[in-house]
Amino acid sequence: MTVEHSRIRDQPLPLLLQRLSSATLALDYGAAVIRVRSRLEDFARDLRQVYGAFAFLDDAPFADFHTEVCAGQGFRAFIRPQSRFLIDGAQPFDPFPLPQALPHFEWGANWCIAQRFNQYVLLHAGALALGDQALIMAAPPGSGKSTLTAAMMLRGFRLLSDEFGVLCPRSGRLWPMLKPVALKNRAIELIRDYSTDAIIGPVYQGTRKGDVAHLAPDDASVDARRLPGRPRLVLFPAYRDGAALTIRRLPGEEAFARLAFNSFNYGILGQGSFKIVADVIESCPAFALEYSRLDEAIESVRTMLLESSTMAPAA
Amino acid sequence: MISLGPADPCLHSLLGLLIDPGGARTMSLAQWDKTIRLARQARLLGVLAHRIQSRAGLLADVPECVLGHLYSATAYSAHRSQLLRIELTALADVLPAELPVVLLKGAAYLVQDLEVARGRLPGDVDLMVARNDLDRAEAALLGAGWEAEEIDAYGERYYREWSHELPPMRFPGHAVEVDLHHTITPVTGRLKPDTARLFADLQAVPGERFLVLHPLDQILHAAVHLFQDSDLSAQLRDLVDIDALIRAHVRSDEDWQELAARATRHQFDRPLWYVLRYCHAWLGTALPEDLPLIAPSASAVRLLDWIFPRCTLPRIPDQPPGFSRRIAARLALIRQQWLRLPPSLLLRHLGHKTWQSLRPRPAVQHKAG
Repeated sequence: MTVEHSRIRDQPLPLLLQRLSSATLALDYGAAVIRVRSRLEDFARDLRQVYGAFAFLDDAPFADFHTEVCAGQGFRAFIRPQSRFLIDGAQPFDPFPLPQALPHFEWGANWCIAQRFNQYVLLHAGALALGDQALIMAAPPGSGKSTLTAAMMLRGFRLLSDEFGVLCPRSGRLWPMLKPVALKNRAIELIRDYSTDAIIGPVYQGTRKGDVAHLAPDDASVDARRLPGRPRLVLFPAYRDGAALTIRRLPGEEAFARLAFNSFNYGILGQGSFKIVADVIESCPAFALEYSRLDEAIESVRTMLLESSTMAPAA
Repeated sequence: MISLGPADPCLHSLLGLLIDPGGARTMSLAQWDKTIRLARQARLLGVLAHRIQSRAGLLADVPECVLGHLYSATAYSAHRSQLLRIELTALADVLPAELPVVLLKGAAYLVQDLEVARGRLPGDVDLMVARNDLDRAEAALLGAGWEAEEIDAYGERYYREWSHELPPMRFPGHAVEVDLHHTITPVTGRLKPDTARLFADLQAVPGERFLVLHPLDQILHAAVHLFQDSDLSAQLRDLVDIDALIRAHVRSDEDWQELAARATRHQFDRPLWYVLRYCHAWLGTALPEDLPLIAPSASAVRLLDWIFPRCTLPRIPDQPPGFSRRIAARLALIRQQWLRLPPSLLLRHLGHKTWQSLRPRPAVQHKAG
């Protein structure tokens, strides 16, 4: 593992802005490198906070996505300033209010990945690891997946992604797609109170998904971004107020359906995605996990991951 | 070599790789970055991926991050081709069995399993029936649930009287659109192909319900579509198609003579002449000496040599197109309409379009991701 000498948070804002405006700033998510151009100072400031641990790269020669976050145009820009997201010069969706440039970029980057990254099966799932022993957490929106993912990182798990389970159909490995974790509404204060290590960016009020704030990935997760994990455990977590911790082993066919059909591009990869998801379900135990107390849930997940890792054949 | 206009230097890499994918061994990451973007802009990334993947041993020399994009484009092309096949099956079920129906362009390449279809990103399904069968074919589709795109009365008339196809149709929920043609050029256009001959030479495809044009007519159709019936914008992939069709179908000197003879019979000398010029210059298509084709005037060639690269070749899209590209695009549009409509109709059409552009328009809705 290489030691990062230079992180984005160590750079003075003017330098960051200069690199952003000359389109020589690239963010390395692990599985993807995204180049972003922007002249917006608000955006640079927020980015410096939630991407603080990310490597401050010398101009990366190759980027997977070429994006821009810019201000609205024309007369309207004076009345109601907006931020626009562009990929390859095209604007795939409506502008956001200018102060929400960062969540707009995050949304846009997710969109780019989901549209174009068909070299991987993109599960709609959180992914974490201990070393290279990885677990996949899939759940419908609103079941507390991002909150649990965030809390697990703060308790020493390596974060791979809170949104994409990036499964390589050729190697069977799970790749990091390391981005700030989007926390919504109540989860923001919950995670802030959960650990003093939590670095949380500004709270953007009244976005399309309610209040949103981003938890910055930690140094260890960033430094291991090029280290793919071996899938060892599949979880379907559900938060329920006041619930006692219950863990239920799922039969393979149910786990398969819940994992495969909660994917961004399962249909596009056809047989390729069937085979790799089936491999994962065959080699990993799958559990439904209901919880209300984070710490208790996290320690049981840790135990399950360690157990299934020792039982897995060494490869 | 014909000037590439204000093109990015990496365009040479893209064209070079399309001709000889072996060049992939010596590309730097920075060159790959732009070359992949140009290929994607030209909708040629899947084709490029196929050509690199089919060269034995080459993949090992391609950087991992580049491979990802090649795999992605291959998967997406296979997916779209599958959707197209599903649409063809659905169409075969509802079109009366005794009606001869011809597949044009992408769908035809696919059912013939031609090399040109590999990695290609197919567009819509283009069907052609004889003019006399048009109403029956249309009724069969509408009766089975396909719906025509809603257009105004003027558009309806434009399609039905002056065009060579009906307004596009789609079955609700299907990913692929269907265009129903009755010939291969606009009926009002300057060129009058010998439609009877076109239909007389149709070929069956083993195991398929649909017919296809004679292989040489497939080349001519692609050429005419590009130089007679398009605004020339971002059509590099049409040239790539034609180059691949020539490599597949035109092997001997007799084939070349036959191609030229067919071009003359259908009045397609000019489009074929231009296509061969640019295919040779940019894609290294091997041509025989002195084909019996009537060449355009030197000044027309000079003008098109200026317009065509600026409209057709992909560019890095970070900045809006420059002045010369915008002028070229406008000239190409005028050229298209000029070739398509006789002067009286053209005047009427432009008048209508101008009137429309002056009226207040509903706000454009962007699709949310």
